[in-house]
Amino acid sequence: MKKVLLVMTLLFAFIAAPVHVVHGDGHNLDNFDYKSQEFKEIASQFMCLCGCGQDHFECNMQGCGLNDSFKAEIREMMDDGLGKDEIKDYYLNMYGEEILTAPERRGFSLVAWVLPFVALGGAGTGVFFVVRKWIAEGKGVEQIEANSADKDETEDEIVKSIIDEERKKYY
Amino acid sequence: MHIIGNLSIYLALALSVYALIIFILGIYKQDQRLVDSGKAATLAVFILTSIAMFLMLILLGTSQFQFEYVASYTSTDLPLVYKLAALWAGNSGSLLLWTFFLTMYTVMVAYSKKLKNNPMVPYISSILLGNTIFFYIILGFVTKPFGLLDFVPQEGRGLNPMLQDPGMILHPVTLYLGYVGFAVPFAFAITALILKTTDAFWLRMTRRWTIIAWCFLTLGNVIGGWWAYLELGWGGYWAWDPVENASFMPWLTATAYLHSVMIQERKGMLKVWNISLIILTYALTIFGTFLVRSGVLTSVHAFGDTNIGSYFLIFLALVVIFSLYVLMSRYHLLKQDNGQFESLLSKESSFLVNNLILVGGTFAVFWGTIFPLVSEAVRGYKVTVGIPFFNAVMSPILLGLIFVMAICPLIAWQRSTVKNLRDNFLVPAIISIVIAGLLVGLGMRAAYPILAYGLISFMLLTHLLEIYRGINARRKVTKEAYPIALYRLMVRNRRRYGGYIIHFGIGLMAIGIVGSAFDQETMQTVPKGETIEIQDYVLTYEYLAQRREGVNDVVFANIHVQKGGKDIGYIQPERLFFANWEEPHTQVAVHSTLREDLYVVLSGWESDERATFVIKVNPLVQWVWIGSYVLVIGSIFAVWPGKYGNITPRYKGPKRKVS
Repeated sequence: MKKVLLVMTLLFAFIAAPVHVVHGDGHNLDNFDYKSQEFKEIASQFMCLCGCGQDHFECNMQGCGLNDSFKAEIREMMDDGLGKDEIKDYYLNMYGEEILTAPERRGFSLVAWVLPFVALGGAGTGVFFVVRKWIAEGKGVEQIEANSADKDETEDEIVKSIIDEERKKYY
Repeated sequence: MHIIGNLSIYLALALSVYALIIFILGIYKQDQRLVDSGKAATLAVFILTSIAMFLMLILLGTSQFQFEYVASYTSTDLPLVYKLAALWAGNSGSLLLWTFFLTMYTVMVAYSKKLKNNPMVPYISSILLGNTIFFYIILGFVTKPFGLLDFVPQEGRGLNPMLQDPGMILHPVTLYLGYVGFAVPFAFAITALILKTTDAFWLRMTRRWTIIAWCFLTLGNVIGGWWAYLELGWGGYWAWDPVENASFMPWLTATAYLHSVMIQERKGMLKVWNISLIILTYALTIFGTFLVRSGVLTSVHAFGDTNIGSYFLIFLALVVIFSLYVLMSRYHLLKQDNGQFESLLSKESSFLVNNLILVGGTFAVFWGTIFPLVSEAVRGYKVTVGIPFFNAVMSPILLGLIFVMAICPLIAWQRSTVKNLRDNFLVPAIISIVIAGLLVGLGMRAAYPILAYGLISFMLLTHLLEIYRGINARRKVTKEAYPIALYRLMVRNRRRYGGYIIHFGIGLMAIGIVGSAFDQETMQTVPKGETIEIQDYVLTYEYLAQRREGVNDVVFANIHVQKGGKDIGYIQPERLFFANWEEPHTQVAVHSTLREDLYVVLSGWESDERATFVIKVNPLVQWVWIGSYVLVIGSIFAVWPGKYGNITPRYKGPKRKVS
């Protein structure tokens, strides 16, 4: 009975195993959609190191063995029920941060994410205070100048251009 | 040929050095004859560069394989247009083209009618010649375009198939015209500093130059994106590749410069800032060239077959040090601003915020681009800073920019009041909120796109309102018909309305960029006669066939396309096999509409004719290209020499005996 069960289990495993048909270019020709959104979310996290400069989702370099085996491995992990973060941790442990398409958001790499906004915030604050200083410095002059608030610049320009046109007719 | 080519290079180098020395002597001795001699030498350098370039074109066109460059980038079977385009396929040829543009611009400035009797001319020419000398040193001693092989090969290595595309004809040329174009305002700025002329003369004189250079740089980037979209087969047009970033950074700083100069022209303020921006822009163009040619960062664009990157780094350092020295030595003069700000709520302030965002964006792109090197220096390993990083960091920054674009045209100079804000922004804001609400109602759930479309609508509406108000104001006085009022309003202030057209173009591009993020993709392997469905498209794979194009083989699939039950026609994605190139090449089939692109790639096939296709539906991509056409129209409109406001600015700087 045990033997029969073992044979049946093996037979079932053989039938149920996904059939990979690989064509000349090395691409899998089975029904799995390697361009699905689900696969994209996972595979696009990892950089293909074949020199194509693309991630493992986009890499379409002819005969890129690295990409083909990577995709197959990711798919296996997906079949095993591993999620996006678990697969990421797996490759992160294996290859380090170099495998990722973007730096991690912790440790030194956090600097990459934060610095642009810190710089922008700092510069923005600086500009605010500089403009405030300029306004304070120009307060005295303000009284002398005509109140130009709400003055319609376009209207002003149009009137000037029409006056110019009229003047040209007579001179 | 070999002798003429090399002679023209070395003679041009010698004459460039002569011209620089004679200009400096002419300025020092205030001797017009010496300056005139320098001008003549400048013209001779341009003629020699033209000879060298046309000679190279002849060599490429006639497949003279004894020349290393010709053998490296062409083959006999290559169509003539690509043989000629191979001029910019390699390092030395592309640098020759660069030098051609640079010497052409130098001659245009040296012999400019508008600059007749202007003492700035010898200075500007000298600065441009300094750049020319650098390029001739590279062409003469580092990467020689007319180098000969020891033998004459029967056949050349051919041009990389990816470069055999109309994009190859347009992308590098437009990009170089943009890059080199910024050398002119840079030279004007440095000259103004040397001559201690702190007014806005140099800004006004270079306004057209800068807009044209900016337009070419924009075109270069967009055409590069269009090329990548059709050629690379991954369905995207911008990958935040280090080299793409390198051409995006000067675009951002040049955009900031084009806006901030208005404050200097109007109020005499921000002189240090404007000069710094143009120095930064020019330095970034050299930095970009360094990145492309050094190979320090992984990029799909790299030339990377020589070590000329280090020369560009040295040149960059010299340019920056020289510029900063001149800037600092004149700092006390530039600080004497005569304008003032009256309110935080004013057009001046909105321009400053615009500059802050653009320069902040430049820093973010720069930081992301160099972070792999920073990481390597600090931790010993390079990390990749790719699309996810740039999308996350740049999206809020660019959205902020669109918001400021919406505010700028309608906010008053000097001071805005609450009434001004309400009158100008209330209606566009309400309509934009309604549009955002409609998008939510239509099922859009992602926050960023909703916000983005709300802001884009707001921007487009404020511009429309501004134009509408202009027309009404004109009609109040003239009683003209609406189209006439619109036409006259626009041609009488080309700069402003050209700018608004450009803003419209940016808005349309933004619609496409945000929309294309909603792409859908599938990869399926199907036998003949089977269908693939994606969204409401049904694609029936009919057959696979082969044809011969010259010496190349083309395998293509014939696919019948239906959309929503309606017959659309046939598309044929292809795979090209080149006689002279190992890797086959993918030719994407695109069915393009204003709503979306159906993008089909023939990924592979089996002996039983089952074929694998990658199929994408990319929404609104067409708007990216349409926006860029509008942007070009706006740029042309802005620089078009109409009869209104087309006055050559008067030079008020120090007088000299030489010009």
